[in-house]
Amino acid sequence: MEVKTETYNLNQEIETLRNDSLGPINKWGRNTKIWIGCLLIVIIWGLYCYIQQLRAGLGVTAMRNYVSWGLYISTFVFFIGISHSGTLVSAILRITKQEWRRPITRSAELLTFVSLLFGGIMPIIDLGRPDRILNLATYGRIQSPLMWDIVSICTYFVGSSVFLFLPMIPDMALCRDRLTICNTRFQKFRKWLYTFMALGWKGTKSQWHRLEKSMTIMTIIIIPVAVSVHTVVSYIFAMTLRPGWNSTVFGPYFVAGALYSGSAGVIIGMWVFRKLYNLEKYITRRHFDLMGRIVLALTLIYAYLNLNEYWIPAYKMATAEGHLLTDLFSGSYSTVFWILQFGTVLLPIIVLSFPKGRRPLMILITCIIIVAGAWAKRYVIVVPTLLHPFMPIQEVPGDWSSYFPNYIEFSITAACLAGIFLVITLFSKFFPMMAVWEVEEGIHIEHDKNVAIEIRTKREAEEALLIRNQIQKDIEPKIQPA
Amino acid sequence: MEEEKDNSVNRPNRRNFLKIGLITGGSIAAGALTITKIISQEKKSESGVKRTVFTQDGKVFTADQSHLHDFEMPPVSNEEARRGIEGKKFVMVLDLAKCDGCKKCTEACQAMHFTESDREWIKVYKMRDAETTAPYFFPKPCFHCDNPPCTKVCPVNATFKRQDGIVLIDNERCIGCRSCMVACPYSTRYFNWNHPKVQPELANTAYSPEKSFPRKIGTVEKCDFCPEMIRQGKMPACVSACSMDAVYFGDQNEDAVTNASGITFKLSQLLEDNAGYRYLEELGTDPRVYYLPPKNRKYPKPDINDDSNDKKETHHMEMKGMNM
Amino acid sequence: MNIKTIIKKTFTTVAGTALYCVAATAQGKSEATIELSYLKKADMSKSASAVVKAKNKEEKFVSAKNARVNFYVLDKNELRLIKSADTDDNGVAVVSLQKDLPLDDSLYFTIVAKIENDSLYEDAEEKVHYKDAILTINLNPQDTARLITARVTETAKDGTAMPVKDAELKIYVLRMFGIMPASEENSITTNENGEAIFVFPESIPGDTSGLITVAARMENNELFGNLENKANTSWGIVLEKEIDPFPRALWEPYAPLPLIITVSALFGGVWCVYFFIFYQMWKIKKEKTEIISQTD
Repeated sequence: MEVKTETYNLNQEIETLRNDSLGPINKWGRNTKIWIGCLLIVIIWGLYCYIQQLRAGLGVTAMRNYVSWGLYISTFVFFIGISHSGTLVSAILRITKQEWRRPITRSAELLTFVSLLFGGIMPIIDLGRPDRILNLATYGRIQSPLMWDIVSICTYFVGSSVFLFLPMIPDMALCRDRLTICNTRFQKFRKWLYTFMALGWKGTKSQWHRLEKSMTIMTIIIIPVAVSVHTVVSYIFAMTLRPGWNSTVFGPYFVAGALYSGSAGVIIGMWVFRKLYNLEKYITRRHFDLMGRIVLALTLIYAYLNLNEYWIPAYKMATAEGHLLTDLFSGSYSTVFWILQFGTVLLPIIVLSFPKGRRPLMILITCIIIVAGAWAKRYVIVVPTLLHPFMPIQEVPGDWSSYFPNYIEFSITAACLAGIFLVITLFSKFFPMMAVWEVEEGIHIEHDKNVAIEIRTKREAEEALLIRNQIQKDIEPKIQPA
Repeated sequence: MEEEKDNSVNRPNRRNFLKIGLITGGSIAAGALTITKIISQEKKSESGVKRTVFTQDGKVFTADQSHLHDFEMPPVSNEEARRGIEGKKFVMVLDLAKCDGCKKCTEACQAMHFTESDREWIKVYKMRDAETTAPYFFPKPCFHCDNPPCTKVCPVNATFKRQDGIVLIDNERCIGCRSCMVACPYSTRYFNWNHPKVQPELANTAYSPEKSFPRKIGTVEKCDFCPEMIRQGKMPACVSACSMDAVYFGDQNEDAVTNASGITFKLSQLLEDNAGYRYLEELGTDPRVYYLPPKNRKYPKPDINDDSNDKKETHHMEMKGMNM
Repeated sequence: MNIKTIIKKTFTTVAGTALYCVAATAQGKSEATIELSYLKKADMSKSASAVVKAKNKEEKFVSAKNARVNFYVLDKNELRLIKSADTDDNGVAVVSLQKDLPLDDSLYFTIVAKIENDSLYEDAEEKVHYKDAILTINLNPQDTARLITARVTETAKDGTAMPVKDAELKIYVLRMFGIMPASEENSITTNENGEAIFVFPESIPGDTSGLITVAARMENNELFGNLENKANTSWGIVLEKEIDPFPRALWEPYAPLPLIITVSALFGGVWCVYFFIFYQMWKIKKEKTEIISQTD
């Protein structure tokens, strides 16, 4: 009798979960439409600016001969950094079998996929001759760090797409089965999409087996791929002789920076979806607390590498490097530099060290600072070095010796950011933002655990009773003769 | 206008000469044809000056200058431009003790390559290593390094090193990623950010990596050691233009460098006698450009605080002029 | 930029010749000087070259290009025009001369170079007169030393060769862009036999077979002008031919093999795993069709 109620409760719980996660799908409210409209305006304006850039050349940007890489490349590094979120949260937590990961893996993987997509576009926007992009295939040189980037980012992009798609298969089947009314053309399209993406999922034993095997393999393989991506991204800088870039710590420094800005990005995403889709039941304070601890740990690693990156050359003050560091510490970039050091290194360490600092709102604010700071940090890595070449900057046109992005660069970059938001928004209108089956699995495990505990307590009670009876039986004969 | 035209027809000027270029042809047959053509040009009176030119396979060929003048030769093929001249290792020596900062080299270079005024393929810096040391002029072309950081990072092999040591750019292949610009420690590379100005005299010129014009938007350009001139047996424009004889050019394999006055020195001896060095040797780029230190100058030293729009920038420069 | 600076710029540079011509015509003719020299080469060919310099706007003498120079010889006390030539960018006009130049009673010949009625330059004139001489060069490879013997003779009235004594000669090696002194002390003086001996140094690189062209020159001699003779020899240091001018290297088109192997192994491995996953996904999809066929 009791067990039956349990099952009923379990089914009910799973039903609620399914409703909660599939609920927001295909709900196009007024706010959503305004939001998408705004994003589209930004994207169209950005496209217009890009067409201008295509027609007139990169001269329409603020980049000149000394600062020949600017906001585009900084943003490229930033987006690729954000893309590390998915790997960290999803793969590392999967490997370590952290149960609490279940509700947040999907959004983390999505963030990886989208930021990688737009991160990969940034260098193409930065190209002087995008019409010759096929030369990369016909004349490609594997000695070029840029080629390593292309290979590695493509590999990571395919990997993260698979990594996002695999756990979606059972959910797609769920969506397919639940979408029963197919009157409009749009609904038919959705039905077709879900059917296609579900890969004929029937939930058979062998299907589950294959899925789980694939997931395990992908979880393991995606981590080194992700590390390689940000390492080679740092190599496009570290492989030069430039002061500030000519550093052996650049690979790990970029990887740490990427993981840390990426997991901060995941927290922002968690917070937004939790609020928008009322997922407080699933994404709890505990999730924020645990993610906060992870970000804290990553901040400490980042701070350690940051120390290596600046303190070692600052102690020596070698000529060219010394001029760059003087400019960073007390020159024209010192304000930005110190704000970044305090805002993205010291502040997160202080705030996240306290349990109160790991509450959703506090952690959200910290993470917004971290993500914005990470973006600015990429800019401070790219631009000041280019303004401090070995040869002095002499008798050049005025706009060569300084750099600040102009409206074209800001517009195109904003359009890419809007593109990220748009893809995420559209995704959430088509697919569940939580991995339903994974959370279900979690509930089952939790339930089984509870059942197991119950059974154990029962058995313990029974055994205790038995023993007590036994003792009584043992004692009783002794009394009787007496 | 009429008169101007007349002049250009009757009197062979530089423009005609440039077009003449060198002896080419995809095969030996084409080469033979070229020679026949030259010989058949009998109607023109001989100047008596023989000019050495290089054929495709690196052979030396001598012809009368007047014949070469009349003959228009197509630019070398892309493959040949990428291979370079066999058996040569070109090298440049810049004597800082002689450079008076007149920038004639820069002007000659800009005229030779039709560059815009803000591109100084050979740029004359005013340097001072430390506040206590003496300032000096420092002309800087591309160093055509033997361990070139720029060609290493090129993803499409658009910039390449030839067997004669010259580093060139193929503007018809360059994708404009600017990796080479950030990789070059000497800031020698320039990017065509905008549509290049159309020079009417270049309208019908065929592009070759040895020429760098007509230039193309969205691609990188830099000093090329004037390979077209070299193929004619002439020295780069900056060398011939230096009135101070501060620039020497030659072939390291021949151990000889020649200056604008036509005086040829033994390279090894010149470097030994003057304690020649290479700029930023510690970077390990292995430059093909040598400097002779600014000792016993016969011209006034550069005024570091003069001739700059921005005082702060000058100071900045002064500090960064340090190279050791 | 005013017209003056334009003129100044174009004057020293290579382009803009036409513009300069027009501008100079408008400004009037400039004062010019001629420096005339005579050269007799190894093949007995004779040539005269005139270096023309003209005053620029800053009153400095610089190379004058496109100046028409008329060359004359003195034949029986009369000037006879032989050739005309235009100066090149370096202000040099060169003409080849006939082999037997008309000689005067004391065996001298006279060459005159003139600028006459030029549209750009004022009239100018210069003349030289020299005797004819023959310079021969002989290479004597000996056990220990490599000797170059140069000999200078002049032709007497009766046609006999007379050795020229105390003439200064210089020994050069031909290089790509000019002639290089064979050693730091490369000048030698002829003895009473008209001969001078030079010890050729060992440290001069030649081509891939050690070939080298040695030139003996008599330079700006008061009596004979310039004489030159050349000889080929294999005394140069043999240039080792580059076996592979384009090795596999980081800066070359072709990558070093270890790099290719490492990169392809790493990423190839990852892609193999990807294809295994794709295979698994295909298997998942295929299972459906099996079920359907069973139910059918």
